[in-house]
Amino acid sequence: MARMAMVIDLRLCIGCDACNISCKQENNVQQGFFWAHHIQRHEGTFPNITYTYMPTLCNHCSNPPCVEACPVEPDKAMFKQADGTVMTSEERCIGCQACKFACPYGVISFNEWGQETHPEWRTPEAAALAQKVGGEVVAYSNPDRGTTFSVIRKEGKVEKCTFCDHRYQVGHDPRCVEVCPPHARIFGDLDDPNSEVSRLLRENEYSVLQPEAGTEPNVYYINKFDQKS
Amino acid sequence: MKLSRRSFLKVSAATGIGAAVLSGCAGTRVAVQDGPQADGRPRALAQGEWKPAGCAGCTSWCSKEAYVLDGRVLKIRGNARSKVNGSASCSRSHLIIQMLYDPDRMKQPMKRTNPNKGRNEDPGWEPITWDEAVGMLADKIVELRENGEPHKFATFRGRYTNVNDIVYSRLPQVVGSPNNISHSSICAEAEKFGPYYTQGFWGYRDYDLERTKFTLAWGVDPLCSFRQVSYYTSAMGRQLERGMKMATIDPKFSNTAAKSQEWLPVVPGEDDALALAMAHEILVTGGWSKEFVGDFTDGRNRFVVGQDVPENSFNEVHTNGVVKWWNIELKNRTPEWAEPISGVPAAQIRRVVADMIEAAPYVVVMMGGGNNMQTRGAYSSIAVHALSGLLGSNDHEGGVILGRGASLNSAPSAGDYQDQLAKDNVGRQKIDQRGYKNMPALNSGRSGGGVVTNRTADAMLAKDPYELKVVLAYWSNFAYSAPGTQRWEEALSQLDFLAHAVPNYSEVSHFADVLLPSTFHLGEQMSALSQKGNTHTHVWIGDRFIEPVFDCKNPETEVMWMLGEALAERGFDNWHRYLRDNFKDPETGREATNPREFELYVLKNRHFPLWDPSEFASRNNHGDSFTGWEDFLAKGCWSSGDYNYKGRWSNMPTETKKFEFYSETLKKALQGHADRYNISIDEVMREANYPDSTGEKAFVAHYVESDVAGDPRQYPFYFIDSKKILAREGRSANTGYFQEFSDVDQGDIKWGDCVKMNPEDAARLGLQDGEIVRVTSPTGSIETTLKTWIALRPGTVHKNFGQGHWAFGRNAAEVFTTTTGQVARGGNNNDIIQAEFERLSGSTVYYGSTRVRVERA
Repeated sequence: MARMAMVIDLRLCIGCDACNISCKQENNVQQGFFWAHHIQRHEGTFPNITYTYMPTLCNHCSNPPCVEACPVEPDKAMFKQADGTVMTSEERCIGCQACKFACPYGVISFNEWGQETHPEWRTPEAAALAQKVGGEVVAYSNPDRGTTFSVIRKEGKVEKCTFCDHRYQVGHDPRCVEVCPPHARIFGDLDDPNSEVSRLLRENEYSVLQPEAGTEPNVYYINKFDQKS
Repeated sequence: MKLSRRSFLKVSAATGIGAAVLSGCAGTRVAVQDGPQADGRPRALAQGEWKPAGCAGCTSWCSKEAYVLDGRVLKIRGNARSKVNGSASCSRSHLIIQMLYDPDRMKQPMKRTNPNKGRNEDPGWEPITWDEAVGMLADKIVELRENGEPHKFATFRGRYTNVNDIVYSRLPQVVGSPNNISHSSICAEAEKFGPYYTQGFWGYRDYDLERTKFTLAWGVDPLCSFRQVSYYTSAMGRQLERGMKMATIDPKFSNTAAKSQEWLPVVPGEDDALALAMAHEILVTGGWSKEFVGDFTDGRNRFVVGQDVPENSFNEVHTNGVVKWWNIELKNRTPEWAEPISGVPAAQIRRVVADMIEAAPYVVVMMGGGNNMQTRGAYSSIAVHALSGLLGSNDHEGGVILGRGASLNSAPSAGDYQDQLAKDNVGRQKIDQRGYKNMPALNSGRSGGGVVTNRTADAMLAKDPYELKVVLAYWSNFAYSAPGTQRWEEALSQLDFLAHAVPNYSEVSHFADVLLPSTFHLGEQMSALSQKGNTHTHVWIGDRFIEPVFDCKNPETEVMWMLGEALAERGFDNWHRYLRDNFKDPETGREATNPREFELYVLKNRHFPLWDPSEFASRNNHGDSFTGWEDFLAKGCWSSGDYNYKGRWSNMPTETKKFEFYSETLKKALQGHADRYNISIDEVMREANYPDSTGEKAFVAHYVESDVAGDPRQYPFYFIDSKKILAREGRSANTGYFQEFSDVDQGDIKWGDCVKMNPEDAARLGLQDGEIVRVTSPTGSIETTLKTWIALRPGTVHKNFGQGHWAFGRNAAEVFTTTTGQVARGGNNNDIIQAEFERLSGSTVYYGSTRVRVERA
């Protein structure tokens, strides 16, 4: 048994979006879609201002409403794996978007029917460049994504963060964890009491996004971004 | 992880201090299914190669590695060999991938066919070969020389690498021109002024963050736009975790301000009042460093508000003139005096000073351009830097240090390759009017010692000191990056011939006669750069590891070689001979025979003292050593040895060898400029726009009334300029990532530009969040989106630099074309910031120097 989770230390986080940009690179996420993003909030009045930046991604909930909502039978297209991660099957996805509407965090994107993904790479000039250098549709597309998911997605399918399953299953951290300059993101197994994520949650107060939604997220936040708050 | 399908996941309750937030939500459990790898065999990732490289996206100059798979660059990370940035890589480094593979890059050389130049003129571009393109430049240089006016040639340098000496210094020298115009004074010259006129150092400082107890970030956001951003983004949080305290002084609420326990939102242009009050407070509370500064002979503190102190009562050790500074300036500069001027409460000033004194000498006083790239910012630069002197943190562990560079080879002298024509003209006054009576530009103590980049446009228009006719500009875009862009557009429209070497069709490109598409620094060319940070200096080097994506060449090496051949064909072979004779392969002695061999030999020569073991020893180099060239290239990064703290105490290259609160060094420099024009220092101060800085005040940090363009009745808002996190000095706006994450800067928006205003001010003006407004200064006007932002002082507006392109590509501009009909995406700050100078340093001003009005568009 395993329960994969991420702990994000907001004191270490410097609000730079390296995680979110490199997520797009790793997973060939098209313009306008965000598998990983941010929430920003200012509070107070001048000059007593505080700022909070929180990186966001799929919470890989223990009680995921997206999975419940998926109508595909008998095997769901949005489903929970034995290691606790919430995954998407492109083969089974029927494009109904029920998962997307059920997710309270807005982290699921849908590739519209009748539209090619990465449209800016479909112009003759861009397509010629991609062909010349050898990328699949996008000049810098990452083929690693293709080991568990499609490199370039098709119409009528949903997509979202997979905790970089193609990476962690072969011993690499998710890309957002790897690139974070201050190492503010820790990934691991909460069912392993000796894991770093377990230790951090034992030793720190933590929070999750929208606990009232009852989704039981597996992305946790510790410490404060703003040292004045 | 072998589990049967539809087994049920049993979730153990989250344990921990904060578990309460999770309670009460044990809903129904969902079925577990196997994922895409139901066969249980994880598939290995592709095996690409991490190639040593570096980033020239800002002055951080971080050491990098690039992940190359089947000839494509897919990822960037820091080079762990660097003791400066290590494996850390800032967010904007990842934009390199999209800049490299940008379909809008220039794809081959082009020539202009329409002789009329202007933003609204279609240049009529026609593709040409590289030989034709370089031949056009050669023709123009030969023509200048035949007409006896080689001084009317110039190179404009922007972002560069370690081997820029050839194109920047030696080419004009051999042609016969004094004109090499760098971007330096639109970067940081006023920031270097304070360190030079206190401790004799004209350059970037380093900060011992790992060992400090308190960091004061002044006019700088090291998590955004400073040197070594990768390092600071990686290290800041850990230092806070171990208990380092931090305060930020900046009119802008930055990410660094959020990380600080104290934010002091100084009124734009009034930093000096705050710095002087801090110095005053340090002295009256007895908080100065007895070890570094010294003490009263009887140990009794005579620094009492309003009272003069006898100079002979104080025994000064490693500094000069602390009592003079007190008597001339500081004695009445109380926190209460500073409060109404600076907008920072006296109590907060005292609180921060008390924290600094408690931490001293383990205090980092980190100074950026914010407090000094102002019309009268030179003395603010001295005042802020002097705090490190008072606290004894200058050159001290945990304080402000200078770094320990490598000894490298410079490009050999070109003297033997200058003909009489070149020799007769190379010593002329430079085009940028440096050293004019009203532009002392006292870089390193010399009248006219430093570049005045942004004056060049005015000088070109006025043909004063003479007309500039032929320019080779590379990796520079002054019509976008320098305030008063309109002047640049006019000056470039009148220029006879411009060759522009950049990767993307930039604002300046539109005025060019020939376009020389440049390779990108990473992977497409050999590159190397040096930088300091984290108490070390590194030199990184990157080889060519992909073929250039388009038909591009390196302007610093390949184009130089081709130009040498083209000039030789036209009967002037001096440049070719210089390059051929002076850049032989140091291992074999072979002469270069083509552009890429030349590039290789240039890089080998430049770094010979690092990679050659015997040269390394004879040059007293330190830190990492290599077995030879291949070893250096394979590792891609040299890191210096450990820093020698206190090595400069009483050994500073100042007139007194001491850290000068009373600057004999500045006195000598000002006298030098005065002598040149046979005027007094008081007259120099008036010429340089410091009319009240007369007498002894000129030699100490003192309060100077700010000089802000725009009558407050017509232009009620201070304009606050800063840089976007992902801006890469204005070059990354055509990447999708830049636009999609343009909101990473607090209060900014995606895919667009905005000016921000306190909601109280917006309500008073009847303006709505999200509407289009016109922002007007005495210099110009732009239209952009209004965003309300509670983090701003009422009476100020803030706008980041990085959007507002009308060129560069389809994402950067709203409408991109290389003909006519371009539309900018939002507005460029440099259209409205006044083209003024901090004249003692020659710096262009960006901060605390412009007022604007904002109205519905």
